[in-house]
Amino acid sequence: MRDHTLNPFIKYLGRRFFFLLLTYFIALTIVFILPRAIPGNPLASILSRIFQTGQANPELLRSVERTLMEEFGLGKPWFVQYVEFITKALRGDLGTSISSYPKKTLELIIPVIPWTLILLIPSILIAWIIGNTLGAFAGYRRGSLVDRIALNTSLIIGQIPYYWLGMLLIFFLSVKLKIFPGQGGYTQGTIPNLSFSFLLDVLSHYILPSLSIIISALGGWAIGTRMLVVNELDSDYVSFSEHLGVKSKTIFGYVFRNSLLPQVTGLALSLGGALGGALITEIIFNYPGTGYLLFRALSTLDYPLIQGIFVILIASIYLANFFVDFIYAIIDPRIRLGQGES
Amino acid sequence: MGETILELRDTKAYYIIEKNFVRAVDGVSLEIKDEIIGIVGESGSGKSTLSNVMLMSIKRPLTFMGGSVKLYTNGNELELTNINREELQKKIWGRETSIIPQSAMNALMPTKRIRSYILDVMKSHFEEIDEKEIIEKAINRFEEIGISGEFINRYPFELSGGMKQRAVIAVATLLNPRLLIADEPTSALDVATQKMVLKTIKELKDKKIVKSIVFITHDIATVRQIADKMVVMYAGKIIEEGTTDEMVSEPLHPYTKGLLFSVVTPEPEVKRRGITYIPGTPPDLINPPPGCRFHPRCPERMEICDKEEPLLKNINQRRVACFLYEKR
Repeated sequence: MRDHTLNPFIKYLGRRFFFLLLTYFIALTIVFILPRAIPGNPLASILSRIFQTGQANPELLRSVERTLMEEFGLGKPWFVQYVEFITKALRGDLGTSISSYPKKTLELIIPVIPWTLILLIPSILIAWIIGNTLGAFAGYRRGSLVDRIALNTSLIIGQIPYYWLGMLLIFFLSVKLKIFPGQGGYTQGTIPNLSFSFLLDVLSHYILPSLSIIISALGGWAIGTRMLVVNELDSDYVSFSEHLGVKSKTIFGYVFRNSLLPQVTGLALSLGGALGGALITEIIFNYPGTGYLLFRALSTLDYPLIQGIFVILIASIYLANFFVDFIYAIIDPRIRLGQGES
Repeated sequence: MGETILELRDTKAYYIIEKNFVRAVDGVSLEIKDEIIGIVGESGSGKSTLSNVMLMSIKRPLTFMGGSVKLYTNGNELELTNINREELQKKIWGRETSIIPQSAMNALMPTKRIRSYILDVMKSHFEEIDEKEIIEKAINRFEEIGISGEFINRYPFELSGGMKQRAVIAVATLLNPRLLIADEPTSALDVATQKMVLKTIKELKDKKIVKSIVFITHDIATVRQIADKMVVMYAGKIIEEGTTDEMVSEPLHPYTKGLLFSVVTPEPEVKRRGITYIPGTPPDLINPPPGCRFHPRCPERMEICDKEEPLLKNINQRRVACFLYEKR
């Protein structure tokens, strides 16, 4: 029996993996094209910096521009650039940043990744757990006061614009009440280290951005789970179980479990997207994560840095996607064992 | 016939939808004895609602409006209308009464193996259970019902329609309930599987696993194969009741006649008579017609029929609600 069920499972994963590679390739192409479609000159920021120092004459500027054009290959036809980008990326070379020349893009990206992951993963998980639990109870007691309160609050919270919520938090808890700092990942001027006082400092900077992510994500999870639970409660197996005298607590367990299955997909996808950072949150809170870096790269048209961030980000989303299929097959027997049937 | 298992007295259950009363069960009295009783009616006649009333499984928008539902267990007489849903779920459902639901295809918890579901059912009824013993009994019950005991290790979606239906029957009767309600259990199955499932249900009674079976269906032909007694419902009321043989050979109520004559059977008498159908559609249960609810469709309508409501009167061993037999 084991062999019989294992084969379709592996075949299923293999097929998924193939399509994943294909779509990754397409995504890289798009990442290559889109930044170049934005009007503007990526070298402008460097040149204007040199110009501002006042030492430059037009002759020198022109020669610097030529050197840089060469360095970044910007003068070459687009398809040559494209082939170079892909072949280098496959070798793990994501190029040199334009705006932070001569730093390598990876040197810029890798240090900010932990900041983003530390901010997003716990926040996403907390929002998911609280949101789903709330939604499940509301759905189970559909129509009750608890349900109405939970549903309406979730709807309102879910509709609050992200950035506005962040600003509100900064305004009340940071500017007015001065409980938490509202900017940065740690107090400006300190050097990141592992001392207790520094960790405490990080934690106090952490709370507001994290809270803004939790609050804004929570409502969506709650509403989704509530709807899934309400649908699930109408299933035939719920009514059959009731009429067999199965305990309400056990039935709630069934319903909760079956409703969570689709939500696991959502969770894994948000976790996969976590590397991209919460762009707006990080901008509002000046938080030193990948989102903030991407924002800087986009505003200076730093092609290699934009590409570099997306190469990593898309890969992480795809891995998460693949992982979802994998866990889904583990937690839902209908997927795991049903693949053999057409 | 033997002891009474369930007794309904003038039960009324309406669906309340936006202040409208849908009179799905409207004054039904019925005694269920140690027998298989078939309840027949068109869709919308209130037969499924009646099954909910029998279990006192009343959920909004269905509302119990009045009457009495008495369940006789070993020496005890329980008035189900006085017991709340939670208590019913704990003490009555699954133990004293059970149901094979209308859509048995999806009745089993989909993401659990049947074995583990069975253990859940048992844990709900008993503080301490001996898992090994229960599984052994369950396997026995599966085999008694004619499916392999090995199926208990499977997920519901791994079984075919007929297998699943019988697995549901096995699970529903684990605790040997006195009363089993089968709500259209064969409607979704192909004819060959229908036969098998009908046989399985009949055997439940023969093997004394359950005492009485209420078999609800729109298909009079299936009732003929299985039921000792037949009850015909129309527009929320019982209009005729009697033994299956009598009802089939000599239907009294014009509606029962209509039902019987609209069935395709290979018997010579049917061939001679031909197939007929009942004109019109079942009435709107929010505003049922005055007098006899069948009168707008009745081929034998009389003057009194739209003025007064015929009562269910005893005629020999049978009951019928029709003025044709009242004013004789």
